[in-house]
Amino acid sequence: MASADKTINTDVPEKDVFAIHFLQSLSNLRTQNLFNSPDTTNYRVRKIKKAAYVSMARAAGGTSRLWSRALLRRATKGNNKIVRFPRKKRKVTWKISSKRRRSDQRAPVVEEAAERLRNLVPGGGGMETSKLMEETAHYIKCLSMQVKVMQCLVDGLSPK
Amino acid sequence: MDLSVLDRLKWLQQQQLVSPEFLQIIGSDGREELKRVETYLGNNNDELQSFRHFQEFGPDYDTIDGCISRTSSFHMEPVKNNEDNRAIALHNKRKLEGKTEQREKKKKIKAEDETESSMKGKSNMSNTETSSEIQKPDYIHVRARRGEATDRHSLAERARREKISKKMKCLQDIVPGCNKVTGKAGMLDEIINYVQSLQQQVEFLSMKLSVINPELESHIDELSAKQFQAYFTGLPEAVSKQSMMADFRYFPLHQQGSLDYSVINANQTTSLGAKDQTSSSWETNSQCLYNSFRTDSVSNFFSLK
Repeated sequence: MASADKTINTDVPEKDVFAIHFLQSLSNLRTQNLFNSPDTTNYRVRKIKKAAYVSMARAAGGTSRLWSRALLRRATKGNNKIVRFPRKKRKVTWKISSKRRRSDQRAPVVEEAAERLRNLVPGGGGMETSKLMEETAHYIKCLSMQVKVMQCLVDGLSPK
Repeated sequence: MDLSVLDRLKWLQQQQLVSPEFLQIIGSDGREELKRVETYLGNNNDELQSFRHFQEFGPDYDTIDGCISRTSSFHMEPVKNNEDNRAIALHNKRKLEGKTEQREKKKKIKAEDETESSMKGKSNMSNTETSSEIQKPDYIHVRARRGEATDRHSLAERARREKISKKMKCLQDIVPGCNKVTGKAGMLDEIINYVQSLQQQVEFLSMKLSVINPELESHIDELSAKQFQAYFTGLPEAVSKQSMMADFRYFPLHQQGSLDYSVINANQTTSLGAKDQTSSSWETNSQCLYNSFRTDSVSNFFSLK
């Protein structure tokens, strides 16, 4: 799905990439032997949801996007030998927080909504508002793609 | 124009912005001068519109931004993407340049690249009175609007706000149904609702998936691989193995354990590019999928069908 934005690059790979990653993760779920005797349906649901998000993050470009990086980091909290994060030169964190303090003065309408967005989009806590908008755009595209893939899967697998 | 020249002049005097030179020019040319000065305004047409609707003014009204031209300019970028033809008029009026150059100071900001901006280059700002255009190509000039403070912070803030609104326009194209709502707040609410609804959909579908699969063991034989492919409409029929292998190399291990290489090995044994071979790879995939969900529990999802 090519993007029509000239200012922001929000290209997202095709549907089949998402599909492949999702099916891969689902087939990996079975190796864990979860589904032979789950305690609750909720547990299974949560596992599938987590698998969906992680596969989406992988399909959308791995660690090249802030939100996907934050998602993957969240998913692999303990054992981080799994995903390799490229070591980029990071800004000093105090700079970010100082930006935040000033941003409350800037157009409080926008900043309120930006705060809510930060809670929704993974990794939004450390981003400035303009960067947040870019990440949101890319995140929305990937989410809609993932939803389409899952919808197709469900339709395909549902009994006729 | 709604406001008369004299009224505006009075306001100017109140704000102590006026140089006698300017007064003279205002007095002599009158409306023509003001019209020319109008063409100097930047790309934010909203402010100009609010200015137009004014019937009376005083020092206590707050939309004076955009009223009267300032004596300093701060170029953001060449005004090319302005839909209004005022911008085009701006470029074409050389006479304007001659007169207003004398009164205007240009603030130059050194920038690393055009989109990233003026925020970083605050330390390099200097006030110069020039009649020449941009001297170095990597400076960013932003033109200040009328009635606006010209200190570096507010100009930088304006530049930042423009960046944000540009990005919000891009977001507007992506999120469906955003065109009807106007204003930043409404649009942002729409966007937030959209993201929330997408996340809820993912959760809903994952619940559905977790339930649907256990019942499908009986349907495995019926479901052929080609049907399965057709569900992903838009998928190429032959999924090339190179792309799959590239993906595996990039993300060597899955988060929940070691990768199931049995699936990959099955693909590797088949030849490249043959349709039935790729369909068999889908078959193995789908069978793995079905085998993974075995349970006796019946969830309340039946009611949702």
